[in-house]
Amino acid sequence: MSELLYFLAVLLSAVFTSNILLTNYLGMCSFLAVSKEIKTSLGLGAAVVFVMAITCPLNWMVSAWVLEPLHLEYLRFIVFIVVIAAFVQVLEMIVERVSETLYANLGIFLPLITVNCAILGASLFMIIRKYTLAESFVYGTGSGLGWMLAILAMAGIRQEKLNQSKLPRGLEGPAIALVVAGIMALAFMGFSGMGGGN
Amino acid sequence: MITAFLIGLGVMCAVVLILTLVILACDATIANYGPVRIVINGEREITVQGGRPLLASLKDHEIFLPSACGGRGSCGMCKVRVLEGAGDPLATELPWLNAQERKDKIRLSCQVKVKRPLRIEVPRELLQVRQYRTQVIGMRDLTYDIKEVTLQLAPGERIDFQAGQFIQFEVPPYALADEPVYRAYSISSSPAQHDRVELEIRLVPNGICTTYVHRYLKVGDGVTVNGPYGDFHLQENDREMICVAGGSGMAPIKSILARLAETGSKRRIRYFFGARTERDLFLVDEMRALERTLTDFRFIPALSAPQDGAAWQGETGLVTAVLERHVTSVENAEAYLCGSPGMINATVAVLKKKGMPVERIYFDSFG
Amino acid sequence: MKETPQMRKARENMIPGRLSLPGFLGGERDLPRLLDEDAETVKRLGLTHAAIADRMRELRDAGAEGLGEFLSVPPHFEVRADSVRGRIPCPFGERGLYPKTSITVRNLRTGREVTYTDLHIHLVAAHGFYEGVGTPYRLEPADLVSVLEVQPKDTTL
Repeated sequence: MSELLYFLAVLLSAVFTSNILLTNYLGMCSFLAVSKEIKTSLGLGAAVVFVMAITCPLNWMVSAWVLEPLHLEYLRFIVFIVVIAAFVQVLEMIVERVSETLYANLGIFLPLITVNCAILGASLFMIIRKYTLAESFVYGTGSGLGWMLAILAMAGIRQEKLNQSKLPRGLEGPAIALVVAGIMALAFMGFSGMGGGN
Repeated sequence: MITAFLIGLGVMCAVVLILTLVILACDATIANYGPVRIVINGEREITVQGGRPLLASLKDHEIFLPSACGGRGSCGMCKVRVLEGAGDPLATELPWLNAQERKDKIRLSCQVKVKRPLRIEVPRELLQVRQYRTQVIGMRDLTYDIKEVTLQLAPGERIDFQAGQFIQFEVPPYALADEPVYRAYSISSSPAQHDRVELEIRLVPNGICTTYVHRYLKVGDGVTVNGPYGDFHLQENDREMICVAGGSGMAPIKSILARLAETGSKRRIRYFFGARTERDLFLVDEMRALERTLTDFRFIPALSAPQDGAAWQGETGLVTAVLERHVTSVENAEAYLCGSPGMINATVAVLKKKGMPVERIYFDSFG
Repeated sequence: MKETPQMRKARENMIPGRLSLPGFLGGERDLPRLLDEDAETVKRLGLTHAAIADRMRELRDAGAEGLGEFLSVPPHFEVRADSVRGRIPCPFGERGLYPKTSITVRNLRTGREVTYTDLHIHLVAAHGFYEGVGTPYRLEPADLVSVLEVQPKDTTL
């Protein structure tokens, strides 16, 4: 029971308190580029959740079973990137084979994800935080969900509010998006108090 | 030190190698759909390499479905009934399919990937569509911006079509376009000529195909066409005919008139041709000759902006206004229209007002 | 900034010779920036893409009856809608083929004129796209607004 609670804590902290986008500012480029519409953000977000949930345990295995025994920890960065890229390739083929509908909705975002730094970031954090294999899966899922939550919130704000508002010229586009992201990050800092109470 | 470096290098290479092998293995298994069988109309069976769009796979087997956009999913023309072997329509197809078509399992063939054995239904007339390799044997200027192009089929080849139908013209990659494109043009020659087709092609500003035809194509060049297509064609009956055309809309009407002349038709035919100025008129002599050959045919050109007011003896005004003045009874008449959507809409409105039922109005809109 | 897959596809369709001979982008490389800049211009004029597209549609419909001749449209416009053969798809890869109708609007009060197509109306309404600077079909949002005399929505209601 306590184990389950612990997993829940890892998940929630990945989603809220240490949201990979808003506390670490990882995955910013696609966050800014693809957050103009809720619909596309949802597609990209779902793809990120899926890829993170799988690549985290995958990279955990590579790290724990190959790199660490050989004392090659310094190769993590490059090996993780290669593993992620290869996995996305394979995933794209599988999705295309299994479901045309899923491929049409998700598949187009997959190549974009290969180079999303949040994916690599999650894999590296999981090592730093010394998670187990099971925890790394939960952490990966949580980080993905957190990223998706952040981009959806941003897309909502941009689609519903920013498009209709008049802005000073210098603040338009990415500038105001960054300001909004900053305020969102401040708001998310409020979540960190929730974990500290016990 | 060196050993540590070599181990690192070796592991890195091994990881990359393994991952490459995994991807190659997936490519050969997951992404390889192997040969797939397609059964057409329950009678003909073809085998294609899986994984490609149905439209392209059928084309490889000389089955040509009409498509204007070249498989981008943006024209909605390549509809085909897929009875078995494809899933639900994709989001990219839904805008093109109404409720009835969805129930009938109609799909856009450019969006359906061939993965499992398929059973499909293709309209019979489309199975008649063939690809022809032709040679340009004649080009002449009809006006400053309309060219007549005559294409000779390869020896022994034969095309059968109905007067009024069109073909698709393949523009090969050329100086200004790096991909082949297809454009539809009505055949202006008589269906009795089985070894050649004539097209009337008006230069469209910045048009990919028309620029090719007007600036690059010359006598002796090879041209690939496929066809015939279209349900705009001469109806065999005894009704009076009202034909209305503008610009290169002349082409299918000319083919229809040629057919009528050859069969010695006694039908009453009135042909209203709309143009801006004198220099936009063409084939007037041919039309006057047809007035003598056909029993009851009149060619009525209408200029909307004659340059030389005094010299122009014919009708003046928009073709719709001229039509309105001339046509009195539509009781036993049918209409053939070819021109811009705007002209067709306006003409249909005039004819409806005169009391012509819409099902007797046949038209071929630009496009 | 990274390009979304849709943007990349759109940009490829905009290459000269793919969908149209001159292409849609002219010298412009960065499609998202082009869209952002034109969106800013429109916003500065106190307008929306939808309002501009509505006005373009309104004048097209007013001129349609002329069948290629100039028709006078109150209060002080002349509109000509001319068609050529063929239809063209939207480079953003959506459904639909647009007739090659070119609409020329003359503003008799200012003496200026502007020419746009049916596809333009869709591009402005759905994508806020006015084509790249340097193509023959570029519409400068500011010029378009002044010739067509587009009014902000809330004042016309």
